[in-house]
Amino acid sequence: MTAITLVATTGRAADGTNDYRSLLSQAVILEDGPAQIELIKQLVGASDELVARGLAAWRVNELYVYTSADGAKIPFLLDAQQDSEGKGRGVLLTDGQFIKDNHGEPVIFLASGLTPADTNSKLRKAIKTTLDLFAIASPMPNMRRDAVIKLGQEQNPEYLPYFQSRLQIEPNAQVIAALSEAVALTQIVSPDDKIRTAAINSLARMQSINALDFLKQLEKKATLAPAKYSPQTARALRDAIVRIETHIWWGHFFGTAFRGLSLASVLLIAALGLAITFGLMGVINMAHGEIMAVGAYTTYLVQGVFGSGLLFSLFGHPVSVKGVGLSGGGLDCYFIVALAASFFSAALVGLALERGVIRFLYKRPLESLLATWGVSLVLQQLFRHTFGAANVSVVSPSWLSGSFVVSDILFAYNRIFVIGFAVFIVFGTYLLLTRTSLGLQIRAVMQNRAMASCVGVRTDRVNMMTFALGSGLAGMAGACMSQIANVGPSLGQSYIVDCFMIVVLGGVGNLVGTVSAACGVGVTNQILEPWLGAVLGKIIVLVGIILFLQWRPNGIFVTRSRGLDS
Amino acid sequence: MTHTFTKRELILILLLALGGLVVLPGLNAFVPAASALHVSSFTLSVYGKYLTYAVLALGVNLLWGYTGILSLGQCLFFSLGGYALGMYLMLMIGKLGQYKADIPDFMVFLEFLTKYPATGGLPPHWIPFKHFWFAAAMVIIVPAVVAYGFGWLAFRSRIKGVYFSILSQALTYAACLMFFRNDFTFGGNNGLTDFKFLLGYDINAPGTKRVLYLCSAGLLLLTYLFCRWLTATKFGLIQRAIRDSENRVLFSGYATADFKLFVFVIAAIIAGLGGALFVPQVGIINPSEMSPEKSLEAVVWVAVGGRGNMLGPILGAIGINSLKSYATHAWAEQWPYILGFLFIFVTVFMPKGIIGLPAQLGEIKRRYSARNQPTPVRLAPDSVPPVSSEGARK
Repeated sequence: MTAITLVATTGRAADGTNDYRSLLSQAVILEDGPAQIELIKQLVGASDELVARGLAAWRVNELYVYTSADGAKIPFLLDAQQDSEGKGRGVLLTDGQFIKDNHGEPVIFLASGLTPADTNSKLRKAIKTTLDLFAIASPMPNMRRDAVIKLGQEQNPEYLPYFQSRLQIEPNAQVIAALSEAVALTQIVSPDDKIRTAAINSLARMQSINALDFLKQLEKKATLAPAKYSPQTARALRDAIVRIETHIWWGHFFGTAFRGLSLASVLLIAALGLAITFGLMGVINMAHGEIMAVGAYTTYLVQGVFGSGLLFSLFGHPVSVKGVGLSGGGLDCYFIVALAASFFSAALVGLALERGVIRFLYKRPLESLLATWGVSLVLQQLFRHTFGAANVSVVSPSWLSGSFVVSDILFAYNRIFVIGFAVFIVFGTYLLLTRTSLGLQIRAVMQNRAMASCVGVRTDRVNMMTFALGSGLAGMAGACMSQIANVGPSLGQSYIVDCFMIVVLGGVGNLVGTVSAACGVGVTNQILEPWLGAVLGKIIVLVGIILFLQWRPNGIFVTRSRGLDS
Repeated sequence: MTHTFTKRELILILLLALGGLVVLPGLNAFVPAASALHVSSFTLSVYGKYLTYAVLALGVNLLWGYTGILSLGQCLFFSLGGYALGMYLMLMIGKLGQYKADIPDFMVFLEFLTKYPATGGLPPHWIPFKHFWFAAAMVIIVPAVVAYGFGWLAFRSRIKGVYFSILSQALTYAACLMFFRNDFTFGGNNGLTDFKFLLGYDINAPGTKRVLYLCSAGLLLLTYLFCRWLTATKFGLIQRAIRDSENRVLFSGYATADFKLFVFVIAAIIAGLGGALFVPQVGIINPSEMSPEKSLEAVVWVAVGGRGNMLGPILGAIGINSLKSYATHAWAEQWPYILGFLFIFVTVFMPKGIIGLPAQLGEIKRRYSARNQPTPVRLAPDSVPPVSSEGARK
């Protein structure tokens, strides 16, 4: 065992490569099974790709033996590049060169015409172990981590020395954690009671979720055969299981809370525009979802302009837009521009909608619902004609893809961004409504249109601006959606019912209400989803809202008023 | 609005009833297929479908046009009626399904036999639907009970105007999601289809189709007469008073919530009956029939035809659906534009719909001539009260 460890630690030396190759060749040619296995074990630590390929080929019967002119036996495998008949050049294991004939031309072999080097199940097992252990030395930290986790779960005491030696030189913190976990996990099956207890305790300290199943199995064994396990071990086991389960519970709790919060932010961003157009102005805009889609498609356009250009058809005429051709970091910036662009494009569409349709219907809110539904039909078909019925692809910038893990809870960057963005636009809207003269005028008009008009507020213009503002927010919501959902003609349809419910639930004309309703719905949805599935969870939430409104017909937060029908 | 018909109205109704109940089925039954005048069974079924839509539209109109309640969930009741009859039709297929089993096909491939072994794979609530009378009773009872429950909750807490619309939309959306689920035992995504027999008659035979068409036309006529009668009574007067100013009615001592609840339940029953006749003629009922868009469409038929009178919704339902089946063939791509712009135009510029168009044009003409005349002509007071001033915000 010590000898192997020695090889494993010293094998990284550059001059060791050839040794490993000849070791492998030796192992292949040998006829003696146990000696072969011993040699294969010694290969651990080789970071040579050819050795790995040779071993892998040997395991699947694709390694052959070549007898050279001078009678020396050299193993070889066929080149990965083979022609249609399966013929390929032979690659010698000793130096990676092609086998050449007398004229110096590579010899072509046919796989089916060759006899593979002998293997048996024991050999194959040894090869697999060695190959698995190769991964521990992989240059990629992620590969190393995954390999260590996998090997640790095999609880094979033979791996222990490799883990421990790697632990001493491993630079990456994640891999170190995985290694210590693997060591402890392997040690809990050790016959030595002290080592076992110490390992269990260290797993408990690490709050290792991977180890829970193994600990439970061990506990089962301990109750079946109490004689073999000391009371300390049994107690340590119980404590460890409780501790890890508590950790899982909290991880689950915070994970659900985080996902709920991020769903709440999505809903909030989508509903905020509606909270202004419906909540403050009383206009039921069924085209709200389509205005979100305008924002999402604007993001797509901006991405095309920043990237390699795009092609769409405008009223049946193909339009091609040349892209700037940025890539990498430059292209990643597109999203910032897209957020602003989607605000303005959606605000423009909203402005046109207000001037063209809605201003005739302020006194007939039920009919604004029908007319804007007509608008939504038209816009959806327009998207279909312009960008096609299929979803378009919006690529998230690199700083929005990926995630990090804290205490076993996964935090995806795009979810964090959505939460942050929701906070940002809610705060921005709050400031706009309470700290600017436009906000003052908006509130004045909404509270008492006639009086506001009397004191000189241009109510018509305020209506226009408010609707444009609400639409712009919807557009930004659409840009945000493009990062987490599919961008297609029916993007808006999937959110419209939720949005209305949130505004009604929160209490109309009340931003705080909208925020709390979105949080409530988002978190409830995430809590119910694992139990009941997405659809049933959604149904329960909808029914819950209907019942909640029995108790508080005007929503969570009521704007107090002496009016009969406020 | 009176009990008696004006002469013009009476003639119009008689003509329509004659055309719908006698001429069309007559052309189908007695004119040889080669003749240009022949109406095929397929066409007759399509018209039958439109007539059931017209029934639904009358229900919407009773609610919206006469009581001021805009429900965006009427198609839920339409579908519930349809599902109730559809369940009976499913059980009548017998062993003629794809799987030659005693239970409907979808129950076989969803493995209901393991879920409900005691009843041979049939969920317990399906069993009584073997009897036509039970299914027919459920066509009325289920929509009525659902409408009563939802209406009681909503009207009791005085949810009205747009909030009621949004809640009813959420209700139908939730129900739609529910029916899409396979384990809700109503066929999931595919719904109920592939019917064979109705009361022992082959459902695809021309004779059965003709009878179903006649039933639809008869139902429409009865619904029309019922709505016309109801709105002409004192009850109808209170209904319209609620539409125009609910608070005044409330303060005059009327329990407006009860009145609204009654109308809501009646409208649901009407929708359910329409749905029950829709299903055998179309041959399928699935959850997409209760999606929020369908209910919105029904509201739009009423808006386009003209609400607040009884002929407008019928005209709107049949007209728009005929246009739709023509347009989806002729200009499939442009149809959503046509429909969309039609809604926008009608709601913005023609609040009384097509039926109200002559009156609207007359008004414009009067104003125009009034402007051109030196002496101002006193305008006749608008006979139809404003549609709704309730919902308008201060």
